[in-house]
Amino acid sequence: MGFLKVEDLKVHFPIKGGFFGRTLGYVKAVDGVSFNLEKGKTYGLVGESGSGKSTTGRAIIGLNHITDGKIEFEDKEITKIHRAKAEIRKDIQMIFQDPYSSLNPKKRVLDIVAEPLRNFERLSRKEERFKVQELLELVGLSPESILKYPHEFSGGQRQRIGIARAVALKPKLIIADEPVSALDVSVQAQVLNFMKEIQRELDLTYLFISHDLGVIRHMCDHIGIMYKGRFVEEGTANEIFNEPQHIYTKRLIAAIPDIDPNKREELKRFRAEVSTEYEQAYNDYFDEEGLAYGLKPISETHLVALPEKG
Amino acid sequence: MVENSATAAVKTKEMIKTPSGFNIIWRELMRDKLALISLICLIGIAAFVYGVSLVLDQEEIVRVDLFAIYQSPGEDFILGTDYGGRDVFGQLIIGTKNSLSIAIIVTLMTGFIGVVFGLVAGYFGGHIDNMLMRILDFFNILPFTMIVIAFVAIVPTYSVLTFSIIMAAFLWMGIARLIRSKALQEKELDYIQAARTLGTSNFKIIFKHLLPNCSSLIIVTMTLNLAANIGLESGLSFLGFGFPEDTPSLGTLLSYARNPQTLEYRWWIWVPASVLILILMLCINNVGQALKRATDARQRRG
Repeated sequence: MGFLKVEDLKVHFPIKGGFFGRTLGYVKAVDGVSFNLEKGKTYGLVGESGSGKSTTGRAIIGLNHITDGKIEFEDKEITKIHRAKAEIRKDIQMIFQDPYSSLNPKKRVLDIVAEPLRNFERLSRKEERFKVQELLELVGLSPESILKYPHEFSGGQRQRIGIARAVALKPKLIIADEPVSALDVSVQAQVLNFMKEIQRELDLTYLFISHDLGVIRHMCDHIGIMYKGRFVEEGTANEIFNEPQHIYTKRLIAAIPDIDPNKREELKRFRAEVSTEYEQAYNDYFDEEGLAYGLKPISETHLVALPEKG
Repeated sequence: MVENSATAAVKTKEMIKTPSGFNIIWRELMRDKLALISLICLIGIAAFVYGVSLVLDQEEIVRVDLFAIYQSPGEDFILGTDYGGRDVFGQLIIGTKNSLSIAIIVTLMTGFIGVVFGLVAGYFGGHIDNMLMRILDFFNILPFTMIVIAFVAIVPTYSVLTFSIIMAAFLWMGIARLIRSKALQEKELDYIQAARTLGTSNFKIIFKHLLPNCSSLIIVTMTLNLAANIGLESGLSFLGFGFPEDTPSLGTLLSYARNPQTLEYRWWIWVPASVLILILMLCINNVGQALKRATDARQRRG
C-alpha cells in the first residue's frame, strides 16, 4: 500500500577516541524517524543544520549505515540491501546539494549522464548518445553540450545535468538533498519550477530536503519538521504553515522573511512574541536532554510532538 | 524545437569522435614549446641510444685494451678511452640505455603497485586501510641501501630486470602514500557518492572515477620519479653497488671521477655522462609539467 514507508529509522555514528579507538559514545544523527510518502507527491524534510534531515535521505538511498529501523519501498523491505547492482537502485535516485562537487570534473557530460545507463541498460553507443541528448533536452540544455566538461557550465546548468543523470533510469523516487541551496536565488526558482515540471511529466515522487521554508512551501504537499534527529511536527503544507502547533515550528515559520515594508514592525513584534513563547515553553515541549517527545496525532494528517501531559 | 533537434543531429554527426586523451596531450605540447623541445630531445636521445646499442657490441666495448688507455678524444675514439682503454662513447651509449631502462621499468612498477595500493587503501578506508598501511610501514622501515648492497653481494649475476625489481620493491611506498591521501580526500566528494547511488560498482568507481581524478598527481609523481630513479641508479653505481664495470651505466662512468686525476685532467670520461644525466632529468621534468597541465582541464593552455 505504501510507496515509501520509513519506520523508526535510526542512524547513529560512533565517537571513537581514547586508547585503541574505543567507542566513547554515539552521535544520534537520526533518532527514530517515521513517515510515509505517497506516490506522485512531494514530501519536505525541514530543519536546521545538523538536525539529521540529510542523513535521513542518505540512509534511505543507502549511503549511510542504518543503525535500526525499517525502510519499505513499494512493500519491499530495502533496509538491508547494499549491493550496488540491486534493481532498487534504479527506482531511487538522488540529486545532490553541491552541483560543483557532484559531477566528476574529469568526465564529459555524455559520460556523466550515461553512467547510470551503462550500469543498468545495455545500449549501443548510438542509442546511448541519443538517449543522453534526449535527457539533456528534457532538462533544457542544448544537445550539443554532451562533449563539454562540467566546469564549462554555470551552477544552475550543472544542477540540471545532475537532474538529467538522476532521471536517466526513470526512477520512481528522487531524493533531493538541498538541490537549490548552492544556487543563487534567481536560478533557484528556475530549477525548482523545472523540477515540478518533470515531476508531472515523469510521475516522480520527491523527498525534498531543505532548510529553506519558502522553497518547501513552494514545492511540498507534506512536510516533516526535524529537530535534533527527531520529528517535532508533521502534516500537510497547509497545516504546517497555517496552524503550527509546536513552538519550534512556530518559530521557524515566524522567521520567514516578508518583503512588504509596511508589515515590518508588525512582523518584528510577532517574532519577539514567538521568541519569548519559545523560551518560556521550551521545557514543556522538550525533555531533559532537549529532545522532542514522541509524535501524537491531533488530526488525521497532523502529528505533533507534544509532551505526555498534553 | 523540431528544427533545433534536427540541426543538433546534423552537428553531432560531424563530431562523433570525441577528442581523445592523446589529442589533448598533443595540443598541450604544441602550445608549450619548451616541453615540445624537451620531448623531441628525450625521444631523440632514447631512439639514438637504443638504436646504436643494437649495432654496438658490448663485449667489444668493455674489453680491456692496455695499448689505448687514457686516450683523449680524437679520430679513433670520439670521446676517448678510460683507464682500461675502453671506448667511452660506446660505454656512454650502452650506459644510457641501461640507466634509462632501469629507470623506466622501476618507475612503471612502483607506479603500478603504488597507485593500486593507494587507491584501494584510500577508497575503502577503515580496517582495509589500516591493514594496508601497516604493510606499507613495514616496507618503509627496511633499510633500502643496505638491502640493495646485500642483494648485490649475494646474487652473483644480475640483469637489468632483476636489479629493477629489487629497486622497485622498496620504492613504491612514497607514491602509494601520496595516492592514498589523494583518494581519501577525493572519495568524500559528492561525485563518488553519486556514482554509488547510480549503481556503479566499487571496482568501477576506483578505476573510472577515482583514478582519473588522481591522474595528474600520478603523472607528475611518476615523471619526477623517473628522473629521480635515473639519479638513484647512477648514485648506486657511483658508490659501486650498482652494475659492475662490464655492464656500463651512467653511474659507472661517473664513478671514474672518484679518481682525482680523472676528475681534474681527463674530463672526457665523466663530463659526457654528467651532462647527459642533467639533460635527461631536465627534459623529463619539462615534459612532466606539460603532461600535468594536459590532465587537468582547468590548467590547459591549448
